Amino acid sequence: MSITRFLLRRLLVAVPVLLGILFLTFMLVRIGDQDPVAMLAGPMADAPMLARIRAELMLDQPLLTQFWGYLTRLVQGDLGMSWQGNAAVTKEIATHLPATLELVTLAVGIGALVGVPLGLHAAERPNGWFDQLSRFGSLFGFSLPTYWLGLMAIFVFFFLLGWAPAPMGRVSMMVTPPPVVTGSVLIDSILAGNGEAAWSAASQLVLPVGCFAIVATAPIIKHTRAIAIEVMGSDYIRYARACGFPRRVIRRIALRAALVPVITFVGSEFTSLLAAASLIEFVFAWGGLGHWGLNAILLGDFAAVQGYVLTLAIASVIIFALVDLIVLLLEPRARA
Amino acid sequence: MSATTLDRVVGTARRSPTFAVGFGIILVFALLAAFADILAPMPPTLSHPYETLKPPGSGPFLLGTDGNGMDVLSRVIHGARYAFGIALPAGAIMAVVGIPLGLIAGWRGGWVDEVLLRVLDVLRAFPTIILALAIVAATGQGFLNVILVVGFLDSPIFARIVRAEVLALRNATFVRAAVAAGNPEWRVLLVHILPNAILGATAQLPLRMAWAVRISATLAFIGIGVQAPAPEWGAMIRQGAEYVISGEWWVALFPGLALIAMVLGLNLAGDGLSDLLDPKRRATGK
Repeated sequence: MSITRFLLRRLLVAVPVLLGILFLTFMLVRIGDQDPVAMLAGPMADAPMLARIRAELMLDQPLLTQFWGYLTRLVQGDLGMSWQGNAAVTKEIATHLPATLELVTLAVGIGALVGVPLGLHAAERPNGWFDQLSRFGSLFGFSLPTYWLGLMAIFVFFFLLGWAPAPMGRVSMMVTPPPVVTGSVLIDSILAGNGEAAWSAASQLVLPVGCFAIVATAPIIKHTRAIAIEVMGSDYIRYARACGFPRRVIRRIALRAALVPVITFVGSEFTSLLAAASLIEFVFAWGGLGHWGLNAILLGDFAAVQGYVLTLAIASVIIFALVDLIVLLLEPRARA
Repeated sequence: MSATTLDRVVGTARRSPTFAVGFGIILVFALLAAFADILAPMPPTLSHPYETLKPPGSGPFLLGTDGNGMDVLSRVIHGARYAFGIALPAGAIMAVVGIPLGLIAGWRGGWVDEVLLRVLDVLRAFPTIILALAIVAATGQGFLNVILVVGFLDSPIFARIVRAEVLALRNATFVRAAVAAGNPEWRVLLVHILPNAILGATAQLPLRMAWAVRISATLAFIGIGVQAPAPEWGAMIRQGAEYVISGEWWVALFPGLALIAMVLGLNLAGDGLSDLLDPKRRATGK
């Protein structure tokens, strides 16, 4: 099967799930007691004015008609208007998404770099002291609320030690931000040759990425360990051992076999952290997609909530497709 | 306590220290929750208007006071009630909804299985935290709402665990023998499959409860669900968040520590329980 056909099929299979999620979100925001019309109109509005706004937003029509209208506009690339920012949802997503991607990519990258070797090492001696330690460590990481960790890090590194900058956004307000190219302030500053902004962006990143990486590492350790133990107990490794291959060779064979499930897991980790980012963004006033989506949910900004959830879902579809693609390239058996 | 009971307790603790530690932590919090009124030095919402933001150790306030002049220690102790208030009913909902669903989906297959799998597909792509947030935001605040949302949201995940166990047992010899001996279907399910399938699911229950406690605290931290003077840990961290930047760390620190300890206790208990129920499993990594 060619790779394009494979990817196309993956995306087609995802369409019903995406529609399901969209329908769920659409109904969910509307059955609630949040009334955006009253909020938009303000306290001075009278009944006819409320009715007019309601009609303008098409909120007076049956839910299914509204949903159909939303879908037809969605196909044309129109996700509606965000009421809180008074801007097109697509534009809001485009401005907010890079900040979140920057945060999550760095956190998952660090998590994989730290977690995979630790998990592999723990698997070498199941129930040995290092295994027990890593088990406790990963369970502890599972139990840490990111937002609390963020608050404590702010207290220690900003208030107490003064090492970190104020937890207010992605670049210091004293610095002129670079022109937007990729959306990542750090990369953009480097591209623009703006050393001051790059330094500021990097130092703003340290605390949120650090806190997030701790939480990201825990499950990666746990799953890598389980995967590696299963591989080490498999028939082909036992056979390789019986053949008398040196440890180094056996390790290499095992690593290659463990790589595929580990990559799959890291991919799913990425998607779940994309959503979990909203909390750490909230604490650090990050202004990313998660922060924006969280506010949309709290304020009942219907179109924005739908856009947010849709973005997360599409991101997860893309990531799973990418993961499958990598697996396809690494694993000849999957190509058959 | 008789000698044999004591022996069993010691034996269990020796076979799985993880479970023993986790269970011990849960027990401590259970005692705190049960006797909060006696153990807490003052009522959790008693405000001392002239004693706001006192650091730990000032006067009668062992862990200091918050922005309303309420005793942090008393509030942390009472917070245990909210933790069990979510863990127990949410766990009960998961078991009551998830076990029958998983049994039927695993045994019969068919449309129940199909629907369950599709729901799981959606849940996999739809981050639960966002879903929980959106539902609670839409259906209204209140602790009862949070309990219901968290319980029902996790039920399909619990059902999947039971379903996997049932699928593994379906073709076991003893099950086929029971069918061949002419047992009615319900009897095979309830008497032969359920007791075996439920073992694996039991170990998952504390882990799912840990998730429930965590997510309800997260909702409260965002400002949805339980609201601030109520002594709920997440809501307390939210209150403390605004003081962290000006150096009043104790308002957010202590409820956070309590939350971590409680969630860790449940996670340890669940992890250890799966060792106890299936000692081979951990060594083989499955």
